[in-house]
Amino acid sequence: MADQIIMAFINGILLGGVLALLAFGLNLIFGVVKIIHMAYGQFVMLGFYLIYSFNAIFHIPLVPAMLLGIAAMALLGVLTQLLLINPLLNAPRLNQLLALASLIIVLENLAMIIWGADYRGIPLTLPIINIGEVFIRSSYLIAFIGAIVVLGLLYLFLHRTYLGLAIRATAQDLEMAEGMGINPRIVYYVTLAAGGALTGVVAAFFVPIYTVHPHFGSSFTIMAFVIVVFGGMGNLLGGFISAFIIGVATSVAAVLYTNELADILALILFVLVMLVRPQGLLGVRA
Amino acid sequence: MLKVDGIDIFYGEFRALEAVSLKVEAGQTVIVVGPNGAGKSTLLRGISGLQRTRKGAVYFHDERIDTLRAYRIVEKGISLVPEGGRAFPYLSVEDNLRAGAYNRNARGYAKEGFEQIYDLFPILAKRRRQMAGSLSGGERQMLAIARSLMSKPKLILLDEPSLGLAPLVVDLVFEFVQKMKKEGYSILLVEQNANRALRIADYAYLVESGKLVFEGNRQDFDKNPYIKTAYLGL
Repeated sequence: MADQIIMAFINGILLGGVLALLAFGLNLIFGVVKIIHMAYGQFVMLGFYLIYSFNAIFHIPLVPAMLLGIAAMALLGVLTQLLLINPLLNAPRLNQLLALASLIIVLENLAMIIWGADYRGIPLTLPIINIGEVFIRSSYLIAFIGAIVVLGLLYLFLHRTYLGLAIRATAQDLEMAEGMGINPRIVYYVTLAAGGALTGVVAAFFVPIYTVHPHFGSSFTIMAFVIVVFGGMGNLLGGFISAFIIGVATSVAAVLYTNELADILALILFVLVMLVRPQGLLGVRA
Repeated sequence: MLKVDGIDIFYGEFRALEAVSLKVEAGQTVIVVGPNGAGKSTLLRGISGLQRTRKGAVYFHDERIDTLRAYRIVEKGISLVPEGGRAFPYLSVEDNLRAGAYNRNARGYAKEGFEQIYDLFPILAKRRRQMAGSLSGGERQMLAIARSLMSKPKLILLDEPSLGLAPLVVDLVFEFVQKMKKEGYSILLVEQNANRALRIADYAYLVESGKLVFEGNRQDFDKNPYIKTAYLGL
């Protein structure tokens, strides 16, 4: 049992890395565009299907198929900005939420029409690493390392480039950013492209771990949302930390009880934190 | 160089500015005084493109700019230092300055800009890795002015730079405004502190409830009995 809990703990950390990536994207979009991307998990689902189709149907080798999937998701992010968010930028918040929530239904039904309800996946066998009685799936390890590398690259992008500076400035004070000569529309497009590409990256890391179905994204939408609110909306560091907390909590709970109960526990944990600290772990009270 | 020609600005149904016209010639320091809520800040926001005008026009070097977006206006050489400075709180001092040099005409000069700024404001050099939000009010005001200088402006719009600062710091800010004037920058300064601002002005306007009610040089202001009692406390 102790071994199982250690294993679950490690898996939770490893999965937490990928969740951190998801939370980062959601946070970035919220921080910069001030919009809650309700269909973020569905983007991951779509990215997964695209990679699957490129590889299994069009016979493109796996890694190029993944890169293509990431590029396609970046483009979808830009299209979301252009067709859905731009027209609603000054609309009441509820209208924005409903529009993006409706995207959930659009994407899930689209997936149902195109790929059907069956589970789809790319069969891959990656080795399992064992240290004593503890077994670690290398697919988890690759996803974790990859996620940390991508997060590092994002950090460098935000802190070492002019475009990154423009994104940070816009997130803090839109008006003043414009007063510096920053075109907010361009910043929004770049943010949505990055956010879209991130869902593609997450999907690529999920390919060796999961199979996909039309409702694959919904649990990740909730998970990402819980993590982001848990850490403090718009706070990138808070999202990073809470991704690991939620990752470990659900993973350990799944071993102790069941998967279904683990998700419930994560949400109970979430509600408790919201009661005690409504602004999230590292959030600032408005 | 700047000509504001009869502009109206509305916030919803509320008319904040009505038929306001003014001019700033190259190298001049022009001030706008008036009570709180008279529309002084709105005027600067209108010129810099952060607030749309509903009537009238704004020209800069004979080019109409009130139809341009704010990020284009700064490229033309007009830079706003808003009330309170509004430095980006979670950016370092250095990143704030870098943001100032974001526009395409300034970016190439960022490197020498940094040297000049750190010469002018040694305190900013000392604090350059610190978050702007952790600076004192006076330092933040300096940073906001420095950030504006990084944008290679020809005209600087200063909104109440002395507001909320200790008297010694206010002296410093005004000293600095005069220094900028000597460097050849044109300045449009909005102030409640009429006495102080008039001393450095080439020309001045008085705004009350969104309308221009008086204009002239320092002597004209000093001689006007209404202004003397209402604004100069003489």
